[in-house]
Amino acid sequence: MTETKLDSCCAPSAIEIPRIFINISTCTGCGLCGEVCPFGLPQSNGNGKFEIKDSELCIECSACARNCPTQAIMLQEQKGCGCLWDARARKKNQGNSNGCGCC
Amino acid sequence: MAVTYMRKLEEEPVSYDSKFTALTKGVNLKVQDWILDHIGSSETILEIGCGTGTLASKMAIRGNQIIAIDKNVNMINFAMKNYPTDKDVNLLYQIGTTEDYKVEDNSKDVIVSTFMLSELKTFEQQKFLRKAWKALKPNGRLIVAAEFIPSGFWRQVFRIKRWWYKKKLRRLHLKTTTVVKWFFKYLEPIGFKINMHKTWKHGSIQALELHKVNVNDTNEPGYYQPQARKFKGIRSQLKIYRCLFTGQIDHVPIEPGIYRSGNPNRNSPIIVTANYAYTYIKVMRDLKGIDAWVLCVDSDGINVWCAARGDNFGNNQLLEAVETSNIADITDTRTLILPQLSAGGVSIPQLPKKSEKFPFKITYGPVWSKQLPQFLKEKPGRKSDKMKIAKFSLSHRIRAGVTHITFLFRKIFLLPLLALALLILGINVLLGITWYSKLYWIGEIFLWIIVANIIISLLFPISEFTRKFLVKGVFFGILNVIILSTLTWILHNSIIFILLNVCFYFWIAFFSTMSFSGDTMYTNPREIQGEYPIFVRINKILIIVSLVFLVIGLIIY
Repeated sequence: MTETKLDSCCAPSAIEIPRIFINISTCTGCGLCGEVCPFGLPQSNGNGKFEIKDSELCIECSACARNCPTQAIMLQEQKGCGCLWDARARKKNQGNSNGCGCC
Repeated sequence: MAVTYMRKLEEEPVSYDSKFTALTKGVNLKVQDWILDHIGSSETILEIGCGTGTLASKMAIRGNQIIAIDKNVNMINFAMKNYPTDKDVNLLYQIGTTEDYKVEDNSKDVIVSTFMLSELKTFEQQKFLRKAWKALKPNGRLIVAAEFIPSGFWRQVFRIKRWWYKKKLRRLHLKTTTVVKWFFKYLEPIGFKINMHKTWKHGSIQALELHKVNVNDTNEPGYYQPQARKFKGIRSQLKIYRCLFTGQIDHVPIEPGIYRSGNPNRNSPIIVTANYAYTYIKVMRDLKGIDAWVLCVDSDGINVWCAARGDNFGNNQLLEAVETSNIADITDTRTLILPQLSAGGVSIPQLPKKSEKFPFKITYGPVWSKQLPQFLKEKPGRKSDKMKIAKFSLSHRIRAGVTHITFLFRKIFLLPLLALALLILGINVLLGITWYSKLYWIGEIFLWIIVANIIISLLFPISEFTRKFLVKGVFFGILNVIILSTLTWILHNSIIFILLNVCFYFWIAFFSTMSFSGDTMYTNPREIQGEYPIFVRINKILIIVSLVFLVIGLIIY
């Protein structure tokens, strides 16, 4: 944390890699990502390619990255089902959850 | 019985036999004797799941030619150490599972498997039967022994025992085995006839000798299809409620396989879905009798979304369902319509290329099954927002709220509250103080928890100003304090009582909001795992303070 703060005052701020983004050069604009995202985040940018709008709303379900035919979607995915009890199970069991039993 | 506990015993091959015998109260030895009575002395035998090799060596000593496989390396090593010392023994141990072990067709006289079925899931059991059928010579025999569900009174005993051992395994971070539920149904369609049948312990352990029979003229095993399942009427409605009330805890599986909506023909669409009872009923009702095939994959009785994210609805399950159900031969349709939310588990690019084995193209259908009729009619290249965006609408929030309340009671609040009620009753009896009115106070805690959760689920969209569930928790905490204090004022008309309870009111809503995170679609693993350590600290402080004030309140009022 402190290092990035130092950077931001002395050097041009480090580029923060968004949690999810589409590699424009490999995107073929097939639009499958837009069809599977439950929040409609991937949207056409008007040039036949897709991009992620509001990447902070992504819940990392990986549907788009998993199904992209050219693997153009970069997603930093964390294991887990995204509920408190799963987080608890993982904390207790060093990152492994034997199912949180909640879903 | 408690055969599921063998998952723990398997870790130590040296003590496995003696401990397993103790676990089954000696029945496993009787099973072995029964099996030995049913095999000859010059047969070609394959044993699947040989464990420590006790049965395999006994069979080999009799002069049979044995190949015994097990997936557990330690078991095989142990079995090799105890290799029979007799001279002309024809026994070969190998590492392998039903899935990956290659056997020549029509090559075995007998296939034996003891206490292995519970390691296999529904579709895997069918695959195992089909594979065994192929490997057996004409008129070959399959001898299986396994733990089954007994009937009547013993069913309940079985359930309680299983529950107990499941808990034990959970504590050891081990997975439980499957209950062998529908096995008998598969036998006839796949091509086996029961020749001998022996039961022990009120039917909780059974052994079967099955004869291979031809079901068609292609010299191939048949396929099993589940019977039509009702989705209308009072029983289905009760099933829906059962799922809603136990949603976050229980898996409610139906038989995976092919079902029919209306009267599908060879060109009707194929809808793929999970084998959760709730999902099945909803999908069938939403299809409104449109002619379609409904293929339920074995998602372990979990809904589509959770199953997809938890490795229960992915490519493996899809391929398995296609293979085991024989859907490709039943229809000419070559498109599978998957639920959109299964995309979190299924990966189209990683499916095998279109081939004879998997001749299908995948399309993701609408996000809710309600949109299925429209989707089937329009077959849109691009889905409308209504068809693809998952909104946490009021009706979803109500259902999620109900599920969450029952989850909280069952997993968190019920035991402490019961303990408290017993404590109060005990004080009444022992000290002779008339504290019965305090029981009423426990009832009130129930009410508070329910009210707090109704507030959270109904008013959830208000908290959309932040994504942090800690902040949402504080927000609903404050809201809950205001509402419950008003309620308390109406009921008790006492400021001091309200003040003593304020912290508890806040905690209920704070805790419930955090716990509700999994039901909403507004957080992800990274965020919630990041928030968890801070939550634990705040939670601890709140619980301690709440308890101190509650005890004071309990004594004074």
